[in-house]
Amino acid sequence: MPSTIVTLKVNGRAQEFLTRPGTTLLDALRESLNLTAAKKGCAQGTCGTCTVLLDGKPVFACLVPVETVAERSIETLEGLATGDTLHPLQESFVELFATQCGFCSSGMIMAAKGLLARNPNPSRADVVRAISGNVCRCTGYEAIIDAVMAAAVKMKKSAPVRKKAAE
Amino acid sequence: VQAGISGIGTLVSLGGCKLDKIAIKGDKITIGAAATLAAIGEERGLAFLHAAIESVGSPTLRNLATIGGNLFTEQPYGDIAVCLLALDAAATVATKRGVKKVPVAEILKKGIARDAIVTAISFEKPEKGAWFYRKAMRRAANSASIVTIAALLPQSKGRIAKPRIALGGCGAKPVLAVKAAAALEGQKIDRDAIGKAGALLLEDAEPFTDAYASAWYRARVLPVHFRRAILGE
Repeated sequence: MPSTIVTLKVNGRAQEFLTRPGTTLLDALRESLNLTAAKKGCAQGTCGTCTVLLDGKPVFACLVPVETVAERSIETLEGLATGDTLHPLQESFVELFATQCGFCSSGMIMAAKGLLARNPNPSRADVVRAISGNVCRCTGYEAIIDAVMAAAVKMKKSAPVRKKAAE
Repeated sequence: VQAGISGIGTLVSLGGCKLDKIAIKGDKITIGAAATLAAIGEERGLAFLHAAIESVGSPTLRNLATIGGNLFTEQPYGDIAVCLLALDAAATVATKRGVKKVPVAEILKKGIARDAIVTAISFEKPEKGAWFYRKAMRRAANSASIVTIAALLPQSKGRIAKPRIALGGCGAKPVLAVKAAAALEGQKIDRDAIGKAGALLLEDAEPFTDAYASAWYRARVLPVHFRRAILGE
């Protein structure tokens, strides 16, 4: 089968690239679009380092053939910060030492973003459940859970302000 | 595909075929083969299955994992297939030659033809208090099965009638514990009857050794988890 042109909306921008059949979303992001925040850890949906949002829901990019999600919306870690201002999740990960080697962080943050979009007031158990597909071999998870909980509080506080600004 | 090995001739995705509908009409439930486990986990009418859904993978995985896919997974994965076997579910199988309904039990034994696809799964919702599920895992979430127990124990006048018990971690595919189920026919759900039935589970099960547990361990804990599943211990 010949290569085809695939169009995706990545971090709000339309992207178009040529891809060979069977290419995963992860390889497309990393190789074709140079978006390397999503990592290739296990390449079989076990480690979670490639977690991105597909139409707002977290998925493992290594398990998604990119042609099957043509025209759909993808969010990666690269889309989170606004200029030099970090997203509350990124900020909390830095402040609460939730990152050591960093390999799992982008996947962790995207899984957490997917959770907070659906559930802005998560319990600790909700956070544990949401990141249960993401492996971290450094932190012991507690710092990561703390950071997600802290980010949820920050995002709630900043939400009304943003709304005002929009008005 | 994940390994990026070249030479893939044709890749067919059923993702865009609108096979993901969940229909609940009274007790009759039909779930499109491409319905995700996440979608089933959010469906209020399928609350009895939610413990099983939660026991499979992580929420992130369940956003991609489908009920049709789960049917073809080798043990110790595929806990939803264990449930479907206990529910005596039927799969709608389509080929160019036509569409037919095939018992899930038959598909688990024989598979389907190379040119066939499963388009939907249908079953009857268990009556209240008749459904039991337990999966023993190495971790609280996102782990394969040590043993999985799904049991449909309908009752008539306080006595079990036509029970079905399905097991995971007890063979390459989910298996029916026929002898244990027969022992429960006409019995009350109590410690004595469940203990006797539990002792017969291994008659139909062939627990195996893998990285999660040894065959010996699986065989030892199977009756225990069966008792816990049914008596809620």
